[in-house]
Amino acid sequence: MHETSTLKQETTVTNPTLAFKGQGSELFSIQIVNIALMLVTLGLYYPWAKAKNLQYIYRKTELAGSPFTFHGTGKEMFIGFIKGLGIFAVLIGVFMYGYMHGDNGVKFLCFAAYFIGILALIPLAIHGMMRYRTSRTSWRGIHMGYRGTLGNMYKVYFTGFFLSVITLGIYGFWFETNLRKEILGNTRFGNAKFRFIGDGSDLLLVHIKGYFLTVITFGIYGFWYMKDLIHFYINNILIEQDGKYSRLDSSLTGGQYFKLAVGNLLIMIFTLGLGYAWVVTRTMAAIFNNCEILGEFNPDALAQTEEDYKNATFEDMADMLDIGLV
Amino acid sequence: MFEGKYYNGRTSKGMPAFITLEPTYIRVAWQAGEESGTEIWQLSEIHKSEFNDATTLLEYGDFPRQSIAVFEQGFREALEQKYSDAKFLRSKYNAFQKTGIKGLLVGGLSLLTLAIVLFVWGVPALAEKAAAHFPLAYERAMGEQLHEQLMLGQTIDSAKTAALREYLAALDVKSDFPITVTVVKDDAVNAFAVPGGFVVVHDAILDKMKHHEELAGLLGHEIGHVQMRHSTKALARSLSYYMLLSILFGDVSGIAAVIVDNASTLNNLEYSRSAESDSDKAGLELLKQNKLNPKGMVWLMERLQSDDPEFLKFISTHPSTNDRIKEIEIQIKETKYKPEPNHELEADWAKLKK
Repeated sequence: MHETSTLKQETTVTNPTLAFKGQGSELFSIQIVNIALMLVTLGLYYPWAKAKNLQYIYRKTELAGSPFTFHGTGKEMFIGFIKGLGIFAVLIGVFMYGYMHGDNGVKFLCFAAYFIGILALIPLAIHGMMRYRTSRTSWRGIHMGYRGTLGNMYKVYFTGFFLSVITLGIYGFWFETNLRKEILGNTRFGNAKFRFIGDGSDLLLVHIKGYFLTVITFGIYGFWYMKDLIHFYINNILIEQDGKYSRLDSSLTGGQYFKLAVGNLLIMIFTLGLGYAWVVTRTMAAIFNNCEILGEFNPDALAQTEEDYKNATFEDMADMLDIGLV
Repeated sequence: MFEGKYYNGRTSKGMPAFITLEPTYIRVAWQAGEESGTEIWQLSEIHKSEFNDATTLLEYGDFPRQSIAVFEQGFREALEQKYSDAKFLRSKYNAFQKTGIKGLLVGGLSLLTLAIVLFVWGVPALAEKAAAHFPLAYERAMGEQLHEQLMLGQTIDSAKTAALREYLAALDVKSDFPITVTVVKDDAVNAFAVPGGFVVVHDAILDKMKHHEELAGLLGHEIGHVQMRHSTKALARSLSYYMLLSILFGDVSGIAAVIVDNASTLNNLEYSRSAESDSDKAGLELLKQNKLNPKGMVWLMERLQSDDPEFLKFISTHPSTNDRIKEIEIQIKETKYKPEPNHELEADWAKLKK
């Protein structure tokens, strides 16, 4: 019996790693132009600035030695920015009208409309942002994609929201993990699929452990608490490719997180916020350079599956609602 | 000729390729196992290529895009030499990066200066302009709501409120807003103005007063705040700071906001000092208008100055009382009129002190 050498060559790619190669000084030189242009245009340049920023960050993020590309443009995002601004202006108008109105019934109606409006926008914003962001992300020409439906997103969101309210927030941990399951479960990377397998009870345990140890150690454990959370979010991501599962794995340590957090804080304070670019690159580097893919994921075997998709409304909406994903 | 990897946009497998730079196009000759082929890339269809360093990545055509990655160091230079006018190589950002440390430092510092100028003078000036154009009716409506909410947790002294309203009615007051005064039971020696013409006076400060001219001065001071729309301006300022920040930083959380927030609070303190001294002038003006003894303003300050610890809070957000008294005395010297007794005001004052 003898082995064929060709079989071995098929699986040469092991542990394809992620890496972030960006440098604070480079990002700073981009941001400085961005800020100057935003000041000159009274903020209207924001979508273009954001596009530049994202293009740089994506280009400096590598998988198996090849960079990602962000294809989104300022123009696309500007249209989204204007639409988002319009929707917000209407909602805030309703709120202000209610505030100024003497009649309590009208007041109540306006406040309710505002609250429900904002609440209904969040799932829409997440959905739209995922569709836009993934469709604009590629790696070696292979696009990512989002297959989730708005109906399911609303179902997951409102069920989670309702249960969280009636359980006084305890269900919040399951709400969060379910939302991640919905989002990642519908995310495609060419013909590879993602899955999130973290459970609400595990997240609850991370928080309970983190909370008590942080209190007992007078805050020192806080950095390990954050590390545990990052591990929870990263290590529970699976990639399914041709029926085989791989897993993301973070080796970030509490000590590293401590260095990162304290360093970032000092940079922000001593540069009066101008050093934000370094904060971003340090954080990205800490997350990505400590992340690898365990299993049989083969980055050379991805195939294009996604259609082109253009609509950036909810990219900026998510931004305004302060939804930061991934 | 350069060696690189070719990606056809349908699979992620990199195919070894030879890249040749022809005068009007780039030729990519690739080979994958048995298969091989040649792509002709027109320069106009190549996408903008920015932010590369070790690897040069070029993308081509519509969705799905083809791409090549070249690791050889000379490739970028060769591209720039051969296609110096090509659109895909042009980038303002790359150009700025090439200015080096010096350029970045100069850029960063000038931006910082611009930001400081904008924050210290630009935003307050713009916000005040905006606040000045805020319709009076809206300001009144806003103040009404605010006043209503403030009064929820207070005990109103209705007898004193009625007496104070009579006193105010007897005063000659010039204001764009109808002035509504309310006396509440509170041990803190304080009084404050809500936008839109609402003045709230604590009974403790009334108890301390010895002359009715002090009361007139106090009312003049608070009405001055209302008339000069100080609260509305301050609100407009902090709102515009907030908006500016969220526009500038987009999704930056916490730290930056906290730093700047503190900075603007310090700034507000400075602002409130000039607002206070402007309102002191308004108080003096009211005394003059009603031919009352201008000393009332000084007596009022002296009430505030007594060293009871409960005043500390009131005084701390205000300029030093000594400075205010000095300022007022200078003003008094400049204004010359003969104070006349006002029996109506005195009668109302007697009712208040009962």
